[in-house]
Amino acid sequence: MDSTTDAWLRNRRRLRLTQTATSGAFLLPIMAVFVILFAVPFAQTIYYAFTDFSGYSTDVSFVGFANYAKVFADPALMQGLAFTLLYAIATTVLITVCAIPLAIALNQRFVGRNAVRSVFFFLSVPSMAILGIVWQYIFSPLDSGVLNTIVRSLFGADAVLWLSESSLARGCVIFVGVWAGVGWHATLYLAYLQAVPRDLYEQAEVDGANAWQKFVAITLPQLIPCIVVSTFLLMTAGLKVYDLPYTLTKGGPGFATNTLTQSIIVQGIAQGRADLGSALAVIFTVAVAAVVLAQLALANRLERTLS
Amino acid sequence: MNGRKGRLGPVLLSVGLLTLAAIAAVPLYYIVVSTFKTPVEMSQSPLGLPLSPTLDAYKDVFATTPVVQSFVNTAIVTAFGVGIQVVVGSLAAYGMILRRGRFTAIVGSLLMVAFVIPAQATLIPLYQMEAKVGLVDTLAGLVVMYLGGAVFCYFLIVGYMRKPPQELFEAARIDGSGPLRTYWTIVLPLVRPIMATVVVFQTMWVWNDFLYPNVFISSSDNRTIVLQVYNAVGQFTTNWPAFMTLTVIALIPVVVFFIFCQRWIVAGLAAGSVKG
Repeated sequence: MDSTTDAWLRNRRRLRLTQTATSGAFLLPIMAVFVILFAVPFAQTIYYAFTDFSGYSTDVSFVGFANYAKVFADPALMQGLAFTLLYAIATTVLITVCAIPLAIALNQRFVGRNAVRSVFFFLSVPSMAILGIVWQYIFSPLDSGVLNTIVRSLFGADAVLWLSESSLARGCVIFVGVWAGVGWHATLYLAYLQAVPRDLYEQAEVDGANAWQKFVAITLPQLIPCIVVSTFLLMTAGLKVYDLPYTLTKGGPGFATNTLTQSIIVQGIAQGRADLGSALAVIFTVAVAAVVLAQLALANRLERTLS
Repeated sequence: MNGRKGRLGPVLLSVGLLTLAAIAAVPLYYIVVSTFKTPVEMSQSPLGLPLSPTLDAYKDVFATTPVVQSFVNTAIVTAFGVGIQVVVGSLAAYGMILRRGRFTAIVGSLLMVAFVIPAQATLIPLYQMEAKVGLVDTLAGLVVMYLGGAVFCYFLIVGYMRKPPQELFEAARIDGSGPLRTYWTIVLPLVRPIMATVVVFQTMWVWNDFLYPNVFISSSDNRTIVLQVYNAVGQFTTNWPAFMTLTVIALIPVVVFFIFCQRWIVAGLAAGSVKG
C-alpha cells in the first residue's frame, strides 16, 4: 500500500517535471524574443539616456539627468512632444464623437448600407504612409491643388497654403487622421450596437421615449465598454503616430507637426545622438504606460459600477 | 413616429450616408482617375474625368520603378515576419496552458511587461544591434524586427486557448501523443479562428508598415512597396500621374485583401475588443 502510494507520488512528480520541461521548451522561442527584442534593448535605452553615448563612440561617460534636461529645453523636441499629445487627444475625441453617430446610422436599415459600411471601413485599411502622401497632393498649395480647386469653385477664395502655416498644418494632419480612422472605430461600435438587446428599445418606446432619450438612456450606457476600448486604442495609437505626419508634412512647417517617434529616430539614429534619443524614448514609454494604466484603472472601475 | 416620417426616414438616411461616403471616398477617386491623365490634364482638372484616357503613366511606372521587386520584397517580409511570429506566439500560448505553475506565471508577467513597451523604446539599441551583425538594409533584418509582434500574437491566442475544455488537451496527452504532435493535430485546429484573426491583423501591420522599412532600408533593391511609394514622390516630382499610378498598383493587393478578409477583420475587431 505504502509503496504503491510512493510510486504513484514519484510518478506524479516525474510527470510534473516533464510537463514543466515541455512547457518550458514551448516557451523558449518567445523567451528568446523577449530577451533579444525587449529586455536587453530596453535596458540599453534606459542606460544610454543617462550617458553621453552618440551611437558610435566607445568612450561613454555617465551624465545623470542632463539628457532629460536637454530634451525639455529643446524647442524642436518639445514641439514634437506637444504635437504628439495634441494629435492623440484630438483624434481620440473627434473620432469618438464622429464614430458613434456614424455607427448608429450604419446600424439602421437603408439602401446601400453595405456599400457605405465598406467604404468607411476600407479607408482604415491601406498604409497610413501612402494615404499621407496622397493627401499631400490634395493639400497642394498650387491653384490647381484638389482642395484649392474645390475651395475656389465653392467660395471663390484664393489658394490656401494648407501645410505651410503651423496651426493649419496641425489641423490638416489631425483631419486626415480622423478621416482614416473613423470607419474602423465605427465598425467597432457597430459590433457592440448589434449586441444591444432590442427589447430595451421596445420598452422605452412603450414608455414614450423619443430618439434622443433612447440614445442617452440605452445606447450610450450600453456602449461604455466599447468607448473604453476604442479610446484606449486611439490614445495609444495616437501617441505612437509617425507615418502620417511624416509623409504628409515631414513634421513641418518648422517643427509644428513633429512627433515624438520622429524625434527619437532623427536624434537616435540619423544624427548620432543616441543619448538624447534614448531619453526621449524613456519619456515616451512613461507616457504610453501612464495612458495604459489609467485606461485599465478606468475600465476596471466602470466594470465594477456597471456590474 | 408618424407614418410620413417612417417612410421618408430611410430614404433621407440613404441619400445622406451615400453622399457622405462619396465625399469620404473622393481621395480614392482622385488617385484612380489621375492615373489615366497626362501631367498637364491632371493639374488643369484634378477631379474631372480624363478627356482622352491614356495608359502612359502605367508604362512610365513599370519602365522606371522596380515595382515587382518591391512586391516580392514585401511578400517575403510579410510571409516570414507573420509566419514566424504566429508560430512563436502559438507555441508559447500552448506552453502556457500545458502546465500552470510559478514558472509560467513569471513568464506571463514578463510578457505583459513586453506588451506595454512600445517599439520606439527599443528602436535605437535594436538598430545598433542589427548594424553590428550586418542586418541593417536587409529583408532578414526587417523580419527580425517584426518578430516582436509574437508577444501580441501570444496574448490573443492564449486568451482563446483558455476557452475550450482543457480535458481535450489532457486526453490527447494520455493517448500517448507527444506534445508537438498534440500541438499540431489537436491544438492548432482548435484555435483556427483566432489564428486567422491574428494572421489577418499582423499581415495588415507588416504589409503596411512604414516605420521599420524607412529606418532600416536604404538600398532601392530592398524597398518594400510602401517605401517605394514614399520614394516615388521625389522620383516623379513633375509626373504626378505616374506617382498616382504607383499608388494604385500598391493599393490593389490591399483592396483584394480587404474584399476577402473583411469578415475576419470585423470578427477580430469584435472578439479582440470584448477582451479589452
